Amino acid sequence: MAAKLVERRSHEAENPIEISLREAFIFLEPNLRPPFPLSIPTQEEYENLNRAILYGILCEPHLAQVHIKHLHGKSTDGYEYFTGLLIKIVNAMFPKLVDPVRIQLLWVTQEMVHVAAVGVDGLLASLLRQIVGGDFGEENLWLCFEMVCLFSSKWVCLLEDEPFILTSALYVFLRLLADHYRVLNVPKIEALRQMETDFCLKILRQEFHLCLKIGRDLVRLLQDLVYVPEFRDIWKDLLCNPSAFKVDGFVDISQIYSIRTPSKYFLLRITPEMESQLRFLLTNVKLGGHKRHQIWFVKKFLAVPERKTVVTDILRFICCAHHPCNDTIRSDIIPRWAVIGWLLKCGLKSYVEANVKLALFYDWLFFDEKIDNIMNLEPAILLMVHFLPTYIDVTNSLLEFLFMLLDNYDVERKEMILRGISTALDVIVRKGVIQSLDVLTSCDRLSPFLKQRLGKVLSDSQVQH
Amino acid sequence: MQQETTLQLLKNIVPAAQNNISTKFIVLDKGTVSLEGHQKTCLALVADETAAVHFQFWGDECDAFEGGDILILVNGIFSYSRNNLLLRTGKRGKVEKVGEFTIAYVETPNMSEIQWVPCPNDQKRYIQQTVVSSHSRLFPPLR
Repeated sequence: MAAKLVERRSHEAENPIEISLREAFIFLEPNLRPPFPLSIPTQEEYENLNRAILYGILCEPHLAQVHIKHLHGKSTDGYEYFTGLLIKIVNAMFPKLVDPVRIQLLWVTQEMVHVAAVGVDGLLASLLRQIVGGDFGEENLWLCFEMVCLFSSKWVCLLEDEPFILTSALYVFLRLLADHYRVLNVPKIEALRQMETDFCLKILRQEFHLCLKIGRDLVRLLQDLVYVPEFRDIWKDLLCNPSAFKVDGFVDISQIYSIRTPSKYFLLRITPEMESQLRFLLTNVKLGGHKRHQIWFVKKFLAVPERKTVVTDILRFICCAHHPCNDTIRSDIIPRWAVIGWLLKCGLKSYVEANVKLALFYDWLFFDEKIDNIMNLEPAILLMVHFLPTYIDVTNSLLEFLFMLLDNYDVERKEMILRGISTALDVIVRKGVIQSLDVLTSCDRLSPFLKQRLGKVLSDSQVQH
Repeated sequence: MQQETTLQLLKNIVPAAQNNISTKFIVLDKGTVSLEGHQKTCLALVADETAAVHFQFWGDECDAFEGGDILILVNGIFSYSRNNLLLRTGKRGKVEKVGEFTIAYVETPNMSEIQWVPCPNDQKRYIQQTVVSSHSRLFPPLR
């Protein structure tokens, strides 16, 4: 009898996916040894056979070659059903899989890349999502290492078959490198970050036209690595020598600022479990009755100090990838600004806090009504306004940060950023996110200097509009 | 297990000397573990979208679950134990963790904080008499 996919704790229910795979395997086991039957299966039999073979591959490493040959012989849908099963396992069970099953899972993923299976891009994305930011545990670093090896060794065929998944990998490894360069005394981390660095530099230098698909968050991630010599050179070329990237029509970094990052990239840095908890919180939990859910979330995902760098990724997810419907906005469900409020107060290191604030305001800086979504701006303004009565220091520090970005984020392109921020403020009032900015400009407790600057931006904005 | 059993909402559970409660809920809070005879026990506050109740964990259940866990109880028992009205797995029941976090809940009414009396027409059946406390007195709500 085959081994288990996961090690269950006492009183833990078995996962329905595991049950369905195992039942198929037990039922079809006699047919899984050569000579294989030649009969043509019905759709139901075909799906069962896929499940049985997958279970065999994961649980019988010594027979994996036999099973994969069987699959190659029987697959009639470009491996679409099989890849779909793999994605389900990764999303629902990856953190609990036993080590030998994880090894097999990565091996069969490589096979699927090799045969250019239908849906293999989704499978790779689901595995990238399982790498946990700020987790320097052996298992997590193993997955990083396996994935960067896979993307490097399968570079040629991925570039040909699934070029966009390479940009997803770039997004993930740039983000991970920011954590990996900041940590000391973790065995093997140097070798890992060298491989991650090599992969990122290769795609940035050779296939920059693909990297542009990421949009403005590419700049945000690169900026967090500017102190690493290899990335400093990329940064210099972006600012001073854009022709080095050999992309027709790419002449200035502001062209990247103008591309809104597709939301799929933000999902890549949030595990499916974290995503489902955040979405549940923002759809079902009432403001005021959220305390326990807040405590559980923090305990599960943010208890280890190093893991708190993920708050930046959560902010981008909440601002750009989770847009509640009008019914939810009008209800008593906890709003996005309130969740961001408690994330800001969960004891972040100063550099993480700065990254978090940048994540909150990032779309303000380059806001363009034609391509950007007002829902990306909404959390920051509502947070500043709602925190006025009780946490004026937060509102002060956020506004101060916004003006600091205006002055310093890119001094050469300050005009563009001023236009972005003033357009953002104009749209916020025009579309009724808040009635008027008077609530800020006439607040006695807000710093006079900030009110003055806000007034200046607003008067500039009126000149423009 | 989920497919085979009809699950009751907590607001509908009624005390009885039978293993007849099958339900799904989230663990909100746990008390300290104590010994009852040779067996470890631990009181917990659990709830679903309709009501809360005190649950008594037994033996290795005490260490198996924590706040935020979603459990399914099959053939559990809701009855008095030393004057406290508690939901328990009992000898014939089974309780398993099926998830985490994704249940909205209420803390009132608390089914353990209700005074129940035998029904005048049917002495075997209990009906609600008075609410002793709107919320758990053992695990007060977080503010």
